[in-house]
Amino acid sequence: MFSAQNLISVCITSILTAGLYAVMSYGLAIIYGVMKVINLSNAGFLMLGAFMTLVYSQAWHLDPIAGAFLNMPLFFLAGAAVYVLLVRRVRQALPIASLLMLFGLWLVLQNVALTIWGSEDQSIITRYTYKALPFFDYRVALTRLIVFAVALAVMAILHVLLNHTYVGKALRATVQDPQAALLAGIDTERISAIAFGIGTAFAGFAGGLMTLLFSFTPDFGAPFQLKSFTIIVLGGLENLAGVTIGAAILAFAESFAVLFMRASLQNVVAYALLVVALIVMPGGVASLFGRRS
Amino acid sequence: MRIRLFVRAVVAAVAVPALVVALVTPGRPAAMPEIKIGTVLPLTGAFGSSGGYFKQGYTMAIDDVNKTGGLQVGGQKYHLNLIVLDDGSDGTRSRSLVEKLVTDQHVNFLLGGYDTSLVEAQEVVPDQYKIPYVEGGGAASEIFKRGYRYIFGTLATVYDLSKATMDFIAAQQAAGRLPKPLTIAAVWENTDHGKDYIDAVTDAAKAHPDLYRVVLNQSFQLNGSDFSPLLQQVKASNAQAFLSDAHLPDFITMHRQYLQAGLYNQFVSYGARGPDQKGRQALGAGADYLIAGLWWTPALKDPASQLFTERWQKEFKVIPDWFQALSYETARALLAGIDKAGTLDGPKVRDALAVLALRSMLPGGVIKFQPNGQASTPYLMVQNTPGNTVRIVWPRNLPETRAATLPMPRP
Repeated sequence: MFSAQNLISVCITSILTAGLYAVMSYGLAIIYGVMKVINLSNAGFLMLGAFMTLVYSQAWHLDPIAGAFLNMPLFFLAGAAVYVLLVRRVRQALPIASLLMLFGLWLVLQNVALTIWGSEDQSIITRYTYKALPFFDYRVALTRLIVFAVALAVMAILHVLLNHTYVGKALRATVQDPQAALLAGIDTERISAIAFGIGTAFAGFAGGLMTLLFSFTPDFGAPFQLKSFTIIVLGGLENLAGVTIGAAILAFAESFAVLFMRASLQNVVAYALLVVALIVMPGGVASLFGRRS
Repeated sequence: MRIRLFVRAVVAAVAVPALVVALVTPGRPAAMPEIKIGTVLPLTGAFGSSGGYFKQGYTMAIDDVNKTGGLQVGGQKYHLNLIVLDDGSDGTRSRSLVEKLVTDQHVNFLLGGYDTSLVEAQEVVPDQYKIPYVEGGGAASEIFKRGYRYIFGTLATVYDLSKATMDFIAAQQAAGRLPKPLTIAAVWENTDHGKDYIDAVTDAAKAHPDLYRVVLNQSFQLNGSDFSPLLQQVKASNAQAFLSDAHLPDFITMHRQYLQAGLYNQFVSYGARGPDQKGRQALGAGADYLIAGLWWTPALKDPASQLFTERWQKEFKVIPDWFQALSYETARALLAGIDKAGTLDGPKVRDALAVLALRSMLPGGVIKFQPNGQASTPYLMVQNTPGNTVRIVWPRNLPETRAATLPMPRP
């Protein structure tokens, strides 16, 4: 169990899983960063992303990767609409109001999916679903590799957008200080709608990518919600670089924990990390290094 | 005068629609009394697919009786009214809904839910109200170790399923199809279902170290989302056989990830999973050659099984799995108990069920309950074959039994 080969193999699995975890958590971090709202409907949009990818696959034989990208503009619009129609109205109220409303939205999305697709497990099988590639002495699931590569590419694009476009800079300015951003002439309402749209687009995108790895039902998304929360808390809530580190920490912790304890306690790792992060480093891992991006 | 007119209007408003409903409701004469049979099933949530199959099976059995004019009990014909509630695969909700069926709906009898964890949540209610409860969705022996007298189960135990798997492996070793001793990586869901399964594996390994050697023994959480760290350990164990006790959603997720990780074992079994139509649909050719232990299969060639399969395909346009057959037979067992008792009295029906011997399409041909309430029908071992077909590979004495393809071909 503790052979070098096994440990390297666990590391490879962890790195690939971290990519997936990061991409499914970015949306949550962006939304929290801009408007300090915890988007409980993230899991619902993740699930809906998976089902929409299934629809494209069944209707047009569209590959899940293309489906995930197609989800982005659609979910962006849906997210912006949710902000304008719902979130904006409760944003200034107590945090519990937005929490409850977005939780309600999650339930609505779940029930809509249940009505349309039923409760049965759905899955998409492609020509490469069961392919594994040789990597030195190891075999790596092609789908995991694809998800990791696509996630990396999208994260890089997001990084460029945040640092080199007006909207990106305005978004970061709003994250850092909404009042100052407003004084500087940034339309923070518009930026908030864009942020909610981007966050939702990421959820739809991640949901689409996840169809390469998992089967799904209308309950899909719920187990990943806890992981996403842990990751953004570990990352420092609104710090995108921190989210990547948080995703890596959780993925490594989960994978290595199986070497020492029952796999049935895998979720305990996420809970324990969440508690430790909240108590020991409420500013996330980035605060330990004294820098925030 | 106005008051009289008002009263007449109210009476008309209430009575006329009621009369119309009574007249147009098909299959039930207005004067016929009814027997209320309640069931709480997971129609949504993790076990939604299986819960749906159970609802279909129960409904078919009840409809069969209603079509013949109802159930004859003590010289009186009764219409059967099945009341189905959805627990959303949640144990706490499941228990309270069963109680609601008894206290609010005043059901006469109960049919069980699905799976072991939900049946365990429900099973406290029947004894409390002395209402017989027959289930075909929970197979863990723990359900029947708690001393409840009103619980009856048509599924043989998961321990026996696992034992049948180990016996089958021994037969394959004797035939030279599997190595001796066989190294086994065993993973099991962290429930009473899973504990039953692993107990039989470890008991067999202790009793026959020359035949089996367990090199990995790991539990996993029911309804898990990602099994890749666990499967990494299966890979690292270099086992020749991979045994997993999983429910349908976990089986689909786990086997998908097993194949994606490029794992290969000479023998792979997920307990009772593998031939399920939903699993085969979700996994495609990836589910070929898996071995499963089952309570029933459409591959059985006896007339009762063939008739049931044909009826099911005609009515629902799908091949039935054991879920549908067991739920159908479970409802039949309850109705046979009521018929035998000749009364709707709970304790008397309970006593009738305890000594029931019902001719059945299940292997062995008869449903009989042991003193603890659980049936003990023999298991079948089946192997998935390409083209969404299944062949029976154990026991040897069935005419339709064929040799298993082992070691499993590499994908």
